[in-house]
Amino acid sequence: MSTNESTETIQEQIVALLPRLRRFARNLVRAPHDADDMVQIAVERALLRLDQWHSDARLDSWLFKILRNAWIDEVRSRARRAKLFMPEEAGEHVGEASMEREIDRLSVEAAMARLPQDQRLAVSLVLVEGLAYKDAADVLDVPIGTLTSRLARGREALAAMLRLPEGDFS
Amino acid sequence: MSVSDETLMAYADGEVDEATRAIIEAAMRENPEVRRRIAEHRALREAMQGAFSAVLDEPVPQRLIHAARGQTAAPAGGHVVDLAGARRAAAGQLPGRRLRSWQPVAMAASVLMGVALGYVGWHSAKPLVTTGSSGELLAGAGLAEALSNQLSEERSPGLAAITGLSFRAKTGDYCRTFSLTGSHASSGLACHEGGGWTIKVLAQSLPAASNSSNFRPAASADPPAVRAAVEESIDGEPLDRAGEIAARQGNWSASSGR
Repeated sequence: MSTNESTETIQEQIVALLPRLRRFARNLVRAPHDADDMVQIAVERALLRLDQWHSDARLDSWLFKILRNAWIDEVRSRARRAKLFMPEEAGEHVGEASMEREIDRLSVEAAMARLPQDQRLAVSLVLVEGLAYKDAADVLDVPIGTLTSRLARGREALAAMLRLPEGDFS
Repeated sequence: MSVSDETLMAYADGEVDEATRAIIEAAMRENPEVRRRIAEHRALREAMQGAFSAVLDEPVPQRLIHAARGQTAAPAGGHVVDLAGARRAAAGQLPGRRLRSWQPVAMAASVLMGVALGYVGWHSAKPLVTTGSSGELLAGAGLAEALSNQLSEERSPGLAAITGLSFRAKTGDYCRTFSLTGSHASSGLACHEGGGWTIKVLAQSLPAASNSSNFRPAASADPPAVRAAVEESIDGEPLDRAGEIAARQGNWSASSGR
């Protein structure tokens, strides 16, 4: 990262990864506009911290991790704001709120949204993004055993939900 | 022999070593149940990839491409100008001089409104935004009055400036977020330094989020730049009401309340 050229190269690699970052963000935050806001925050942070990225590490994993951390910060600061100056909205949920909502049709997306957050992230990184277990564990800052058990439970729950006839959910 | 479902899952994901693979493939030949479970894992993997691939074909918003290239970021709905650049331009300075402790914020936020200086002097009776001797953006009398006196939870609708979150920054200074209403609706972050309020970030407010959102920022809809600046600079938790009252009694001086 010592020259402008290498910075530009990485910036273009980040541009190329934007579609995948947007996809991952939508598994964190369902509203597309808000998901894109998270991507923007993550990308801005990544550029400030390019010196922390080592070229032997996967750029996509590194960006997923920054995005996931930015999202955690957002959820925390949102909780703070809710407490401080938006009391009327304090009951509004983030992310998992959709789990309790009426689901008209049990699509894959709907089933995914019903997963607990930990399992949803594991499934998103491994099954959707195609990361290796060790990379996904690194993004989530958990041991690989934790990752595999979240993944296994998430898969089991998804399989059960998707196998159900639609009429069973109403 | 029995193979755990986690091992079958790892096999379906291509995550097992050669020895384990040989064992599982032997089990597959003998046991239709093992075959069925592996097929199920693979089918689920395909279904997940298929279900979420549509976003990959969508055009990527220009603001994200700009952000990735380190070009001046444009939060949704806002024109953006780099604050440090606007400040330098106003002061006729060459690039290179930056605020020491705020450099990360100035860069991260890389903020600003459509022609930053267009705000200066607007609302002329009690200007909301003005410039200091070296071109820095300062809260004008109207905004300073709100920042100094108004508690966050007592938003009085008559004021053009609505204060939001108050906190102690890592520099020790007190900082507050604010929203300006009216035709120039915008949000920002100001910190009390040297007896006055210096504006660190000012960005056009986001349009209200769609009602399908379950992740809407609090009603002020702070632009990402403002939220990022708060996250970068905050030391600990925001002030509660008692903390704001104490800070106000100490005239928001960095040495008070600690």
